[in-house]
Parts: sequence; C-alpha cells; structure tokens
Amino acid sequence: MSLSLSAGLLEEIRAHGAQAYPEEGAGLLLGAFDGDARRVTRLLPLDNRFQPESRNRRYLLAPRDLLAAEDEAERMGLEIIGVFHSHPDHPARASEFDTQWALPVYSYLITQIQAGAASESRSWRLAEDRGMMVEEPLEVTDTPNAEEA
Amino acid sequence: MTTIRVPTPLRPYTGGAKEVDVTGVTVGAALDDLAVRYPDVRRHLFDDAGGLRPYVNVFLNDEDIRTLRAEATPVEASDRLMIVPSIAGGAPEAPLVPVDHAALRVNQASIILLLLTAFVIDATWLVAIVAAVMLAGTAIGRPGFLWIYILLRRLALLKSDVLQDHPQPHRFAQALGGAFLVPGMAALGLGVTWLGWGLAWLVIALAAVNLFAGFCVGCALYYWLHRLGLPGFRVGPPPSTFPGQRPSAAR
Repeated sequence: MSLSLSAGLLEEIRAHGAQAYPEEGAGLLLGAFDGDARRVTRLLPLDNRFQPESRNRRYLLAPRDLLAAEDEAERMGLEIIGVFHSHPDHPARASEFDTQWALPVYSYLITQIQAGAASESRSWRLAEDRGMMVEEPLEVTDTPNAEEA
Repeated sequence: MTTIRVPTPLRPYTGGAKEVDVTGVTVGAALDDLAVRYPDVRRHLFDDAGGLRPYVNVFLNDEDIRTLRAEATPVEASDRLMIVPSIAGGAPEAPLVPVDHAALRVNQASIILLLLTAFVIDATWLVAIVAAVMLAGTAIGRPGFLWIYILLRRLALLKSDVLQDHPQPHRFAQALGGAFLVPGMAALGLGVTWLGWGLAWLVIALAAVNLFAGFCVGCALYYWLHRLGLPGFRVGPPPSTFPGQRPSAAR
C-alpha cells in the first residue's frame, strides 16, 4: 500500500498548511484507486468548519461541502481517495482524535507546520479494526501527471 | 423499500454498491437493516455502545435527520436516505501535567508580602528584587520564590497541592507581573511615585485575586490570546475549566 503524488502537488499541500497556520488547513485528495496503491492527481482545498476557537487543533470538512466535492470529483472523472490536513506545531503523526474520526479506505496525509513553515509530511490509513492508523509509504514523483499539466 | 446512498469509503463493505435497498420504519431501523445485510459496515457506522459514530450524518430526502427526529425519524418506502460523512481530525491536545498549586500560592504570597513591605518602607530596591526573581523564575520555567516553598515543605509547614493543569499560563502570569514592575521601578526612579506604586499595587492585587479567589488573571489573558490564535500561546484551558480558574482536583 502506498500513496503517490507529484512533488508539485505535495508543495501545494505544504503551502496550504503554512498559509492556514496557526489554524489547521485541510482538503481532499482526488485521484484514482489502483488496487492498494493510489495516485493523487488533483487537490480540493476546503474550508475548516470547526468552531473558530479550536481550529488550531481541529479541522472539520462539512457534509454539504463533501457532497459538492463528490459531484465535482465525478465531473472530473476522479475519486476522493483521501484527505490532507496540517498539524500546527505538532508532529505529522495521526492523533487519537484523527483515529476516532477516520473513515476506512481514505488516505490521511498529515503535514507538520512548525512555527509557520511546513516540515514533515506523512500518510496514514485506518486499520480494519479501527484500532489505529497505519503509516503508508508516501511516494513523491518528479513528473507531474497528465491531468496536472 | 427505502434506498440508502452509501458514501465512497464505505462501499468496499457493501460489495461496491452505491445504493442499497433496506427495510425499516425509522431511520435507525433502516440503518440497522443495512448493517444486518452488510455486517462489515456496522463498526464504521456505529460505536461500541450502538450509537451513530460522530462523523456519520444522515440526510432524509436532503434534510439532516438531526433537525428532524434523529434516528427515530419515520421513513417511508419512497424515501431516500443519504449517509454523508463529516471529515474531521487534528493535532493532539497538549497533555495536562501535574502542577503544584501550593508552590504557586507561596509564590503569590511572597510577592504580596515583599511588595507591601517595599511600599511601607519606600524601598525601590526591594521592588527590583521581586521583579528580578519573578523574571528569572519565568526564564527557568518555575515560580521565582520556589525556594521559599521548598524550605516550608522541608520544615513540614506546608503540603503540596498537585493538580492536573497547564504550566505555561502560570509562567505567563508571572512574567506579566514581573513586566509590570519594570516600568514601575523606572517610574519610582524618575520620581513619578504614584505610577510606580500604582503598578506595584496592581501586581499585589492580581496576586491576591489568585491567592485568595483562585483566579489567575494572567492565565485568563493567556487563554484569551490562545483563543485569538496568537503563535506561542499553544494551550487552551483544561477541560470543563473556566479560563483562569483553578482546575478541579477530582481528575
């Protein structure tokens, strides 16, 4: 199992997190499932709808936004394959709260934003028994996809 | 039969089906029927107590069932249910750590007594010492007059009072007190005594509110700046604690 994306897309995700700092920034990873390996080809940044005073520690993508996102992905012939979000001043490890709220199948790409600058990015998936998040290799490629060009 | 639309991440558990026909006279019964038909989907919809997981939103013909009668909302065969997830997560909360509030109170009492003494004997140098001790304590991350507390503990005159709390706001409160005294000393040095002693009395008052009422104004200010998202103010108040109030011991 792995998640692959181009260096350009990863840079966009990291810039999005840095811009949202000190709040958490989040959005969807669009692309295609290819068995257990998946490839991200588009990003869909969404608004963090958590209550404002806790947005430095929490993000929420609202159901109505997700419905619209699903339609948009379908129009582009893509699927939602995961979620990206930032951890301001915290490691890019899935937290207990991340695990409680995680949906199966999706990849959860977390980027640590340390004092406003992106540092580490790591990707996680929920274990089948919902007990924990398991890290998956993140494959960063030099060449952009045809869809991105 | 009622139709349920299954969200993408749950489709692997419904044999890939995007829509499933179920029976049931309420939303709860219809969802349960889905889980009976596809047992693997159950743990992602319901928690161990049988309630819907927090990220599960159900829409009945486009209306959130929370605005209707939740899981007891009646459904008819012609209805369409839609399961739509909320996606949420986030960084871990800063963990609470043991903070000895007896040490904090000795610090406050020392500040009050020394500043009162300084006022009575008109000694700017004593104000300077209090400010220096408070700021030095902040720099090394502990109450400046911790040594008095250690002495009192050693003489068995005091007991510790350890609460699960955040130490950062208390450090900030001490720094704030020390920072008020610095211009205070300057004012006293320049002969603007009303301003100098006014600031010293402000520090006395804030320490007294903390010592006698258990309310830390500096901590409240810290939590307020945290709420505004100011970098460096990383922790929010402990759960079910009013910002600035002492956390309860029963935890």
